[in-house]
Amino acid sequence: MKNKTYKYVTVFLFLLPALILFIGVLIAPIVMSLVYSLFDLRSVSTEGMEFIGLGNYKELFTSGSISFWKALGNSMLLAVLSVFIQLPLALGLALMLGKGIKGERAFLSIYFLPVLISTVVIGQLWRKIYNPDYGILNAVVGSGLMPQGGWLGNESSALWCVFIPTLWQYVGYHMLLMYAGVRSVSPELREAAKLDGATDGQVDWYIVIPSIKPILRVSVIFAITGSLKSFDLIYVLTNGGPYHATEVPSTLMISMLFERNRYGMGSTIAVLMIALCFAFAIIINAVFKERDIYGKK
Amino acid sequence: MIGLSKKEENIMKLKKFAALLLAGAMTLSMAACGTGGSGDGSGASGAGTGGSSNNTSSEASGGASGGSSNAVSMENAECTLEMWCIATESDSNRHSYEAAIDEMKTEYPNITLDWEAFENQSYKTKIKAAVAADEMPDIFFTWSCAFLGDFVASNKVYCLDDAYQEYKSELPEVMMGNSTYDGKHYGVPLTMNIVGLFANMDLLKEAGYDEIPGTYDEFIKCCDALKEKDIIPFGCAGSETWCVTEYLESVIEKSIGADAMNDIFLGRATWNNPEVAAAVDTFQSMVNNGYFDPNGISLSNDEVKANFMAGKYAFYMNGTWNCADFANDANFFPKVKVAEFPVINSDKAELGQLIGGPSDTLAVAASSENAAIAAKYTFELGKRICHYGYLDGCGLPAWTPYGDTSSVNALTQDVANICNAAKAYVLFGDTAMNADEANTYLDYVAQVYGCKVDGQGFIDGLTKDIR
Amino acid sequence: MARNNDGRLLDQYQVRKTNKFLRGMIYVGLVIWALIDLFPIYWMFTFSLKSNEEVYGLNVMGLPKEWLWSNYSTAMTTGNMPQYFVNSLIVTVATIVISLIAALMATYAITRIVWKGSSLMNSFFMLGITIPIHASIVPIFITLSKLHMTNSYWSLIIPYSAFSLAMAILICTGFMNEIPRDLDEAAYIDGCGLWQTFGMIIVPLMKPALATISIYTFLQCWNELMFANVFISKDALKTLPVGIQALSGRHTTDWGPIGAALVIATFPVLIAYVFMSKSIQESFIAGAVKG
Repeated sequence: MKNKTYKYVTVFLFLLPALILFIGVLIAPIVMSLVYSLFDLRSVSTEGMEFIGLGNYKELFTSGSISFWKALGNSMLLAVLSVFIQLPLALGLALMLGKGIKGERAFLSIYFLPVLISTVVIGQLWRKIYNPDYGILNAVVGSGLMPQGGWLGNESSALWCVFIPTLWQYVGYHMLLMYAGVRSVSPELREAAKLDGATDGQVDWYIVIPSIKPILRVSVIFAITGSLKSFDLIYVLTNGGPYHATEVPSTLMISMLFERNRYGMGSTIAVLMIALCFAFAIIINAVFKERDIYGKK
Repeated sequence: MIGLSKKEENIMKLKKFAALLLAGAMTLSMAACGTGGSGDGSGASGAGTGGSSNNTSSEASGGASGGSSNAVSMENAECTLEMWCIATESDSNRHSYEAAIDEMKTEYPNITLDWEAFENQSYKTKIKAAVAADEMPDIFFTWSCAFLGDFVASNKVYCLDDAYQEYKSELPEVMMGNSTYDGKHYGVPLTMNIVGLFANMDLLKEAGYDEIPGTYDEFIKCCDALKEKDIIPFGCAGSETWCVTEYLESVIEKSIGADAMNDIFLGRATWNNPEVAAAVDTFQSMVNNGYFDPNGISLSNDEVKANFMAGKYAFYMNGTWNCADFANDANFFPKVKVAEFPVINSDKAELGQLIGGPSDTLAVAASSENAAIAAKYTFELGKRICHYGYLDGCGLPAWTPYGDTSSVNALTQDVANICNAAKAYVLFGDTAMNADEANTYLDYVAQVYGCKVDGQGFIDGLTKDIR
Repeated sequence: MARNNDGRLLDQYQVRKTNKFLRGMIYVGLVIWALIDLFPIYWMFTFSLKSNEEVYGLNVMGLPKEWLWSNYSTAMTTGNMPQYFVNSLIVTVATIVISLIAALMATYAITRIVWKGSSLMNSFFMLGITIPIHASIVPIFITLSKLHMTNSYWSLIIPYSAFSLAMAILICTGFMNEIPRDLDEAAYIDGCGLWQTFGMIIVPLMKPALATISIYTFLQCWNELMFANVFISKDALKTLPVGIQALSGRHTTDWGPIGAALVIATFPVLIAYVFMSKSIQESFIAGAVKG
């Protein structure tokens, strides 16, 4: 009845708004970033920009004042901390809540609460918590424990101090995802295992965790890409300092753009960030797939 | 002196100062960004010279009266001018802008000024974008030297030479130096500031000093004495590297001398200079000796300043714009004094070599339809902003002061006296250099402060990264 | 036993066999984390009402001795907080509406219409989940500057919509797959075209997806700092994150007004959350499960 052309036109029209947004704001800029990264672009005027090939990439990795390696290492470290500290903590809370405890709803609501607070507010709040002179952290743990330079001013403590508010905010987020998974595990299965004499820990380990693997995968992807993208909190707390101890690619990119006017160099960092995010997404998917195969054997 | 009230004494002092400033200003050497053989600046503005003058005059003729500004009269021109600046509600210069603009309104009711203020950091992005897109307002705030120089090099700024003729007597030529490129004037300076060594005299007394030590050896002894008494000598906001430069640049200048430093800052000499390395090591030894507050590294400048005013540090080296805030604190004001950093190497440097100079500037867009009128208006407005800014203690006047200036606080007057004896100025490094170089420089300064690199590493890194 | 399957995701299951000691330990753990979550918020509220003297030592943790509401009026007047709040609201709501419409339409084309390349199209949109929003800031900034479009709501709404789109499509797909296909066929037999089917059958059934997408989009836009910081310099257009940043820059040593601003920015959302926490959580979970 209706011919093929009509169908494809309709499909196209349905896709049009999404495509315009997606191509206009994501795809085209990425292509442009790729182009800009090969030029020495120092103002918003793109006329007469100088082609320098891989010059930006070379400078990025060799300059003594840009410290891209440090930024890369920091964001990796944040990703590792997220996966190995934040997610287990969230999982632990989800499992505990999943046991059907009195006040479950109240706990759930409280844990999710920090997720709704603006990151800038959290950053400003934790700046006050860490304040070397009047902060609450000193009042709680005693100022004797404060490292030299202050919590955020000491190179070895700064990255941890940036990580802790992230942990504080996002544990609730992952906890809720995992909790949903835990709750969807069939009660019959659990009861049966318990009747067979399995302990709580065994039920969690052998039944609950394997069955929420899809959700764990989502959490891992969110945690890692989230760390690679992290900007707001670091920008507010330390802006990459002291001495690049908390520098991440995004803070470096912003300082390239708006402190140094190195638009070409900023694009170079953007391109590398995209590559990194994709690389990790592929790795994570591969890891989880491999596990599935082994699981089936 | 008995017959004179404190106020009259002040007026006398100031009149004397004004006269001295004028006389002294003419003779002292001030680094002019675009003039002379400055590598980057002259190349850039050289390329733009021919085009620049032609361009601006044709622009002007499109507007009012064929390039000859003498024919332009502000009294009967009806027009609206747009201005952007950074005097936001919280900026200490806000009041001087408001007062000056009010005055302009009553004096030139025919000219309407639409002005808007933006936060400092975002303004830098905004004005650059506007310049690139030819979307500038008629009048805009800018920092002198490298910042304005980029705009001048791309022929976007109206040349003020014609309009300046009328104001020569009120605005010394030397004050125009930082906005002069290839011998042409492009900016109207407002206030000027230098780096001052502020001291809390109560704390110095505790360590047995009644005055700020005048020689470097005495100064170091004083720091040690303060440390003995568990008083932290210096407060410095490590998270804002420009605050570190206020210390470091003074140390370098008083070690290698102003001329050598200007050569490096303006690209006439390379950073590869062992004397700079030695000066940086001197600074680093002050850090290593524990003269600086270790917690300062995570504090902002406002927090450090508040600590200084609360009596936590004996010294605070920072811009003289702080005088206004110190003067407004009745408890603290009697305790504070200002001095010049002592000479470290008397073979190369001497007292009177200062860090600072006029940087806050107003400029006129070449694309303005009423550029000739805007130019005159900018001079008139700049003169008034400078006047009120000076009265408020926001800095020293780049213009010759007029009217009753007796209300200027005593601290600012002390700064004025230091400037009277000035022999040479070196502009703040991050203003003198372009944005990219300035940030490379700041990054290495931070590394020095954190003892990541020593003097040799500092000059090696800068020689490598700044071309 | 606990088999009251009422079909809800929450409140289903109770393990009774957990021993008492373990139960106690679990409670202790849960309560400790709850306190860690709540304490900073409590502390923020108290210092928003204190003078600097109290904050600086006399009374660090307790309730304020003197309730200084004037901190709030300072935050309101110098910081223009209500304006920032409204701006954030406008930007967020507009983003939700735009990304929702675009996502619904795109998802319909991908999942309900049979055509070659629909799965490829789906993977194409899913690229957006991984791409960091920061990656496109340079070209967007340069383009907006050339078009003189910075300092407008649109300069935020359009990028935010684009970056929320991938997640919205993902969630939509989950929900739309649950709508039985018989409905489409029945509609087709009744003579409905694709547009009518979409507008009259699918969209009304997608109401639950609406809440879920709104929550995810809200979380993404309400917090966004980088774009907002770069594209907005006019005070009247600043969103909450930018406004708070500017305000705290102005009052670094004055804790009360900053605290007040933080509270003003936070509490309306928290109050709304208190009333809707269950449905917010359920929608949030639905997104993860269906996505």
